[in-house]
Amino acid sequence: MILNTDGTKPIYVQIAEWIEREILQGDFKPDDKVYSQYQLADMFNINPATAGKGLTMLVDEQILYKKRGLGMFVSDEAHNMIRHKRINHTLKKLVQEIVEEAAHLQVGEKELFTMIQEAGGNREGGEG
Amino acid sequence: MNVIECNQLTKTYGRFNALINLSFTIKENTITGIIGRNGAGKTTLLKILAGFFRETKGEVKVFEEKPFNSLLVSANSIYIDEYMNYPTSLTLVDILHQNSRFYEKWNAQLANRLFDYFSLQPKQHYNRLSKGQKNTFNAIVGLSSRCALTIFDEPTTGMDASVRKDFYRALLKDYLEHPRTILISSHHLDEIDDLIEEVLLIKNGEKHLHKPVEELKEYAIGVQGPEAAITQWTAEQQVIHCRSLSPGTSYAVVENHFSAALKAEATRMGLHFSPVTASDVCVYLTHQNKGGIDDVFNKY
Repeated sequence: MILNTDGTKPIYVQIAEWIEREILQGDFKPDDKVYSQYQLADMFNINPATAGKGLTMLVDEQILYKKRGLGMFVSDEAHNMIRHKRINHTLKKLVQEIVEEAAHLQVGEKELFTMIQEAGGNREGGEG
Repeated sequence: MNVIECNQLTKTYGRFNALINLSFTIKENTITGIIGRNGAGKTTLLKILAGFFRETKGEVKVFEEKPFNSLLVSANSIYIDEYMNYPTSLTLVDILHQNSRFYEKWNAQLANRLFDYFSLQPKQHYNRLSKGQKNTFNAIVGLSSRCALTIFDEPTTGMDASVRKDFYRALLKDYLEHPRTILISSHHLDEIDDLIEEVLLIKNGEKHLHKPVEELKEYAIGVQGPEAAITQWTAEQQVIHCRSLSPGTSYAVVENHFSAALKAEATRMGLHFSPVTASDVCVYLTHQNKGGIDDVFNKY
């Protein structure tokens, strides 16, 4: 992943989201050890304190748990928690933005719905 | 542990106040960016910390000692800027060797590897190098000394873009393996904002703010839209920066403390929010007046 440094999203949030993505994709399983803040600092060329802040964020959300002196590990419920978080926050916010933009452009609900269905169709076609 | 403690530190040159009542502390093994405009007092501060200048008033402690005339500070710190003074009779390799005799933690292997990587010639003389090469060499000395307090004053002046990037990467990698306290002064916060942990912003010799860089990145928010709406919206805010974009629309930067609900309401009024980078925040905060360069041309 290449970090986005234009300021739209704090670096530590991007680090946390990257680890979440790795967990969602199954690259990290429950009780797997994740990268240390120093490994992350080296990988993404950032200050280790910033990387540490991303890890702490995930510990606070109980997606990761800490073992003193050993590092951070993926918790049992991590996959589910991330999925729910993404649906309730990220996805809902995106939908909200779409609805607002549609209203701004005077696109009706039906037209918008058709567009979503088309996008879904494209996606299925693309995957098949 | 705090490596640096300043309390009401003041430095005057004649009637000119270079530093005024500066109070701050720097924790051990952190990288701090010292940011400020030309003439803000960055170099004066760094040279006092390195023990080159004596403070006029107030207290300054480095490794719990007054740095001026301190052997402890001298042996455990290095100050690097573009005016390093080396004997002209010595070749680059001689200079590296002399440094290795002085600095206890000097790492010759790192010095030699960086020296080769940046394609410097062992038999060259320092005064024959270009500005960029001089600063590359100085940077190698600064990194290889592995001093507990390493101070880089504008280290990348004259370096080309690729050397700058390599230098910052080398600094980070060596810091990860050998943590130490590093101060870097720069005009270009955007170059180092991912590298540093904290920002100390100096304005006219005074501390303007001292914050983790991640907080500084969220310190301010930009808002643009119809001029009337902007004026109304920012009436009760501390406006950090304001300029007009096109006739009828303007852009304002204010402190970022709005709830999502408030932002949603503003969005309905036709205002758009955008993040403000730490670098831009520093530029706006240290501006002498709110208008900027355009005002110079408006007053004909």
